[in-house]
Amino acid sequence: MIHSTALPTRRGALALLAAAGLSVPARAGSLRVATVDWSVLETLLALGVPPVAAPELRQFREIAVEPEVPVGVTDLGLRGTINFELLLMTRPQLIFSSSFYVGSEPRLRRIAPVETFTIYASGLLPFEPAVAMTRSIGARLGIAERAERYIAETQAELAALRDRLKPYATRPVIPVNLGDARHFRVFGDDSMFGEVLKRLGLANAWTEHTSYSAMAPIGLEALVRVPEAFIVLIPPVPPGAMQALAASAFWNALPNLREGRLLQIGSINPYGGLPAARRFARLLAAALIEAGAARG
Amino acid sequence: MAEAIASTGLPPRGHRSAWLLAVLAAALLFATVVATRPPLQASPELASTLESILLWHSLVPRAVTALLSGAALGLAGMLLQRVLRNPIADASTLGIASGAQLALTVATAYAPALMAFSGEGVAFAGAIAAVVLVLGLSWRHRLDPMTVILSGMVVSLICAAASAVVILARGEYVLSLFIWGAGSLNQQSWDAALALAPRLALSAILAALLLRPLALLGLDDDMARSLGLALHGARLAVLGLAVWLAASVTAQVGVIGFVGLAAPALAREFGARTPRRMLLAAPALGALLLSITDSAVQLLGSGFNDLAPTGAATALLGGPLLIWLMRRVPPALPPQVADPPFRGRARSLGSLAPLAVIIAAIAVLGLVLGMGPDGWELATGQLFQELLPFRGPRLAAAGCAGALLGAAGCLMQRLTANPLAGPEVLGVSAGGGVGLMLALTFLPASAFAMLAGIAGGSLVVLLVMLLFAARPGVGPQRLLLAGIAMGALCMALVSTALAQGDLRAYMLLVWLSGSTNRAGELEAWTGLIACVVLIAPVLFTVRWLDLLPLGEAASRSLGLPVEGSRLCLAAVAALMTAVASLLVGPLSLIGLIAPHLARLAGFARARGQLLASVLIGGGVMIVADWLARLVAFPYQMPVGLFAALIGGPYLIWQLNRGGGRNG
Repeated sequence: MIHSTALPTRRGALALLAAAGLSVPARAGSLRVATVDWSVLETLLALGVPPVAAPELRQFREIAVEPEVPVGVTDLGLRGTINFELLLMTRPQLIFSSSFYVGSEPRLRRIAPVETFTIYASGLLPFEPAVAMTRSIGARLGIAERAERYIAETQAELAALRDRLKPYATRPVIPVNLGDARHFRVFGDDSMFGEVLKRLGLANAWTEHTSYSAMAPIGLEALVRVPEAFIVLIPPVPPGAMQALAASAFWNALPNLREGRLLQIGSINPYGGLPAARRFARLLAAALIEAGAARG
Repeated sequence: MAEAIASTGLPPRGHRSAWLLAVLAAALLFATVVATRPPLQASPELASTLESILLWHSLVPRAVTALLSGAALGLAGMLLQRVLRNPIADASTLGIASGAQLALTVATAYAPALMAFSGEGVAFAGAIAAVVLVLGLSWRHRLDPMTVILSGMVVSLICAAASAVVILARGEYVLSLFIWGAGSLNQQSWDAALALAPRLALSAILAALLLRPLALLGLDDDMARSLGLALHGARLAVLGLAVWLAASVTAQVGVIGFVGLAAPALAREFGARTPRRMLLAAPALGALLLSITDSAVQLLGSGFNDLAPTGAATALLGGPLLIWLMRRVPPALPPQVADPPFRGRARSLGSLAPLAVIIAAIAVLGLVLGMGPDGWELATGQLFQELLPFRGPRLAAAGCAGALLGAAGCLMQRLTANPLAGPEVLGVSAGGGVGLMLALTFLPASAFAMLAGIAGGSLVVLLVMLLFAARPGVGPQRLLLAGIAMGALCMALVSTALAQGDLRAYMLLVWLSGSTNRAGELEAWTGLIACVVLIAPVLFTVRWLDLLPLGEAASRSLGLPVEGSRLCLAAVAALMTAVASLLVGPLSLIGLIAPHLARLAGFARARGQLLASVLIGGGVMIVADWLARLVAFPYQMPVGLFAALIGGPYLIWQLNRGGGRNG
């Protein structure tokens, strides 16, 4: 039903798309791969081997933004409740999963062999596991070289950005995600954002542990503890929150705000792999440099 | 502020020291919050600037917002209790707060522009809709207090389920945030205080102007009318005022449960009797109560993290308070939902066969009919073989859970002689949630520990409810109300854990949403074995089930070991509830509606009703699961919540119907 397209035309189309620099939902080394995890999805897309199916693509396009998801990838529904029937019908030969979905694994195994990665776990710093995951995916799909190249590129990009950010490394950074106009979530040194900050030579202003994820919402007033820091706002920003903040005396009285240390950057998946890490590094560096330039 | 209110010469002699104590406690706690806030790392100069920002733009406005919200809720509660002549009326027991919250959630999700335009308007619309529904349901009962509150609590349950569906359908990551947003008093500006203050002042003035009608509303209708009061007009004005106040608070700080219930009750304990005194005492006590709770939540947390959202903390007080206050409600009310009438003569067991056939047909349809990438699809042959390992277990799990809930509901309704009893209404499912929370905290994670936790929690709550039911003078409605109060208490505990947003919270959320999506062989077999092991023995006790509703004396004289049989059946019902809630979550209302439908179908005797409940419960749950799988394909809804959205309206319809028969 799904893969009933005649082969010759498919090959032709593939060649055409490849020529146009686009990727198609394909099989790396002729393997049909599906995934139930966003960090794997990102990595597969970045390596140019899109899966046949992945979850919650509408949200992914909004929150993770890049890499772009080709139209042919099947949406498996919510990450919490993967649509197993649909996954089955997309006929994957291999499923990549992550530690978030351990509970679903027995079901997934009935569809195809499952390989699980752990990037986010208590007491684990996520960057190196993300590198390891990229490497394993490369090895499994027979594109080890491409994976190594991507890892090297990532490290080179981080190093280059670190050099460019040297003049700004005097101040710490606090990545936050607004819950509403009164609460935010913060990302500690054990989050992917914290890991990237470390590699960019920047200090995370939030020094408490956050157990590999964002903390339960904290009252916005806690920002008085980090008056020196650049506040980095990571979307999604709830509707109306910015207007409410713009009118808030507290918000405007914060030294960070008065001295232009509020940076609004694009949306990033907080539980991502290397592509999300690179995206965060790139967006953050651009925002920091722009803020620096604005102040002369 | 509170000091000012409290020192207006209001306290009657003898209660002055109590007032003084309350004011002192609130002031002292707030001073402690200010004094013990964590030190800031900055230069002394900058630190002092920041300290003053923190104090004047966060801590003080938060304290004032707490006082104002508490006062507003206290006033709203007092007005509602007066106008409805109901000592347990409150924004939370009437569904006003949940209605407002649901409207806010839906608007945030689907019409953010509306929220930007007027969050308060949205909240007010939701609150009005909820209160109209609740009063409409109890209208034919002449707004009998118990009926009103029962309808209100059921509407609250349904609103909460609908809010959860909306949130889960948009990705679960916002949930902990949603819970904090729903009842946290954190402030970084005076906006909320400035919005609430004029509303409170205006309402207080209007309420003072309505003082005479308010006093007369305390009398009965004929008397009030003969004194020349435009009864309906005055009632409507007071009601509208109270709803507006409560909706404003919900729009500003979310759901703060039960303050409006507690404040007037405390005011009465403090000696306020006349409407004039109540008008001052209820808001003042509401303000003090919320202020004390809010300070406690801040002090018990660490650093800048509150222990829990303040709204959840007040809800913890709400359950016990409601039970304590119930003794004030006049007894001897007509039962509110009578057993549905029999259509013709009672059916024999043989007529279960067509029912079984229908349900088998539904099950087969559920197995073959689904959706694929190309739309609707009838799975046959090879594809059916492949899909069966996925559809089979989830269908079996859903069906078994429905069957168990049907049986549990039937047992509970017969044990309590109450046609509205059920696992959710008696708080048994929510008790399972507390058990699960404890198990996740103190035991190594395993399916067995989870089941044990849920079963233990369910059993404890059911036993408490049975003990309560056995006390003299506890009518069926009182029992239901106690159960709902118990459920509210347990859910407040669960929400507090959920709000932490850690792995335990995630597990609780998965349980709460009740998805059969991951059901595999283990779940299917658990369900099937539980059905056999738990339902079959009950069939040998049908004599008990036929006799127990006749009352204790009658049962005993007929030679029934009352305590023993009750305990035994309660344990079985709790286990049924536990297994079912493990499979489909705690909130499905199937346990309530299946026995009803069984009666409607004419199965009146215990054996027939039990078996029919089992079949109908299973059937309805299978349909709910099938719909949950397909309505938003490929996105799947949680079956438990989906079933609640089917069961809820049915329950409301039942409440209304009962009204028609008795009113």
